[in-house]
Amino acid sequence: MGPTLLIGVDGATFSVLDPYIERGVMPFVGDLVDRGARAPLRSVMPPLTPPAWTSLVTGKRPGQHGVFDFFQKEQPDSIHFQFASSQDVRSPTIWSLASEHDRRVISLNFPLMFPPPAVEGCVVPGGMMPWRQLRLGCHPPGLFDRLRALPGFNPRELLNMELEIKAIEGCPDDEYADWVELHIAREQSWFEVARFLMHEEPAELVGVLFDGVDKLQHLCWRFIDPACRPARPSRWEREMIERCERYFRTLDRLIAELVTIAGPTATVVLASDHGFGPTHEVFHVNSWLEREGYLTWADGQNGAADRDTQVGFAEVTRHVHALDWDRTLAYAATPSSQGINIVSRMPGSDRPLGEDARRTIASELGDALRAIKRPHDGRPLVAEVWAREDAFPGPHAALGPDLSLLLADGGTLSILPSDTLVARRPETRGHHRWEGIFIASGSGIREGAQVDELSIVDVAPLILHRLGLAVPDDLAGRLPAEIFEPEELERRPPRRSAARSWTESEPEPADLELEPDEQAAVLQRLRALGYVE
Amino acid sequence: MNQVDPEVLDGVLEMLNELAGDWEYDGEITPDTRFLADLGLESLDIVVLGTLIQHRYGRLPFAEYLEELGQRPVEERDVTVAEVVAFVCENRQPSLEEV
Repeated sequence: MGPTLLIGVDGATFSVLDPYIERGVMPFVGDLVDRGARAPLRSVMPPLTPPAWTSLVTGKRPGQHGVFDFFQKEQPDSIHFQFASSQDVRSPTIWSLASEHDRRVISLNFPLMFPPPAVEGCVVPGGMMPWRQLRLGCHPPGLFDRLRALPGFNPRELLNMELEIKAIEGCPDDEYADWVELHIAREQSWFEVARFLMHEEPAELVGVLFDGVDKLQHLCWRFIDPACRPARPSRWEREMIERCERYFRTLDRLIAELVTIAGPTATVVLASDHGFGPTHEVFHVNSWLEREGYLTWADGQNGAADRDTQVGFAEVTRHVHALDWDRTLAYAATPSSQGINIVSRMPGSDRPLGEDARRTIASELGDALRAIKRPHDGRPLVAEVWAREDAFPGPHAALGPDLSLLLADGGTLSILPSDTLVARRPETRGHHRWEGIFIASGSGIREGAQVDELSIVDVAPLILHRLGLAVPDDLAGRLPAEIFEPEELERRPPRRSAARSWTESEPEPADLELEPDEQAAVLQRLRALGYVE
Repeated sequence: MNQVDPEVLDGVLEMLNELAGDWEYDGEITPDTRFLADLGLESLDIVVLGTLIQHRYGRLPFAEYLEELGQRPVEERDVTVAEVVAFVCENRQPSLEEV
């Protein structure tokens, strides 16, 4: 069997791709669908780049692999968060499993690959990897200098955090055009790296992640989704519609070239980490927690942001100094996690907050969140709330937020203070949804098959199977047998293997359980503070 | 002046000099070089640099360090190579060989 080519398309959704396929903007992806099997691909909670791609490459959910956000709590009871790195992935991945079984790999632009794992093959990390340190992110040593010798190679173009921040926080209208063009150039740059390595360092598993789709859809949803486009576009809007179309046309061409390079015997898997949909709302969750009595801003820290639609994406240390920790019980540290954390100590003391007290507070917060009504139509603001135990079953749940929420309009949380609890953007933006895409084609895979929804954790078992490897029995995902021709699994029967134990470099979280009388004292203290009825 | 392990200082200087060639930075990096004013780094660069340093020298309270820097007045947020090295030396856990 030929190589396995995993093409990641961050944030891709069929509601965008299908119209582009029908209109001939993405002819190759259309052919791939005709030649293979397709399915909606359900993401994990939260449907966000770091946890979702980590789920795709581990076959496990966040509570099992330990990645919940762009930033990670240092310890379960810490208020400090740090940049999530490869060391936070507490599970083998398709890269490491393939490598351990003598399959060479190429992994390009995937998040949480820095510091790079010492696999057999090549790694160029993506995600929030700063271009200035890309040299040390490339594996093996010397790879960066080989890439730098490529014509037009520009690390600043490959990895540019400004693009990420603008996608979330917005940018002036006169910057949109250049911003889209930068993404086109960036996808081309990643393609050039892939082409070079696929020729020079042939591998059994090649993964290339294109992440411009996510960013364009955040900012330019109204130019991309046919249902949201202006009925009578202005000249500028028409130009933006065409530019976005040009981006998708380029992406289609690059995917076609990658598949051609991989060869006719390759297995091709095209997948996204989550889907996308329209949104208008920004919920200022910390200001809501303040009004409910769970959070107190530190002196001078409750000034509203310049715009009430800012979310505070790049302000990961903000909450540490912005909150009065002697009078704060619950807070949101990042907008991306879609989560609320409950402190681990009694406010104003060193006493730990017991598990029962934490559950009580989480339950009350959940009820209060479900009761919030949207100002503009009186309907519930929050569609769903999950307690940590339900959202993140697994040994690393304690590193995740205590509550995770989904806004009814699929909107965004803001961690910044605001007088307006629910702000509405004047224009339609895009934000993450559960339903991503899955397309697979290759020998033994059904042609033109549309199968029921798969889970993102099913992709890793599929890739391991195509590499001729056993699937570890601790994976949450399953081999999606329905995408295969009937005789394929007889020709290549799936194999299972015992899960390898994962060595933790850090001790597991300390047990914060209190004795019953201590629990009662804690709850009494919370009542005195007005936190609990 | 904090206790600075010359090995850590040499290691950090070597790492920065290796990277600086990619930044079109022509000057020599010394213990007095400032990360923001001289090297032109951005905040995320420093966050990731912290990850690299921890990868090499073990778990450090880097998030707390960054938060403390963020609290300072804007004109005092810059740090020198020597200051970061001092932070590493003060906070690193002893290796098994050193215990």
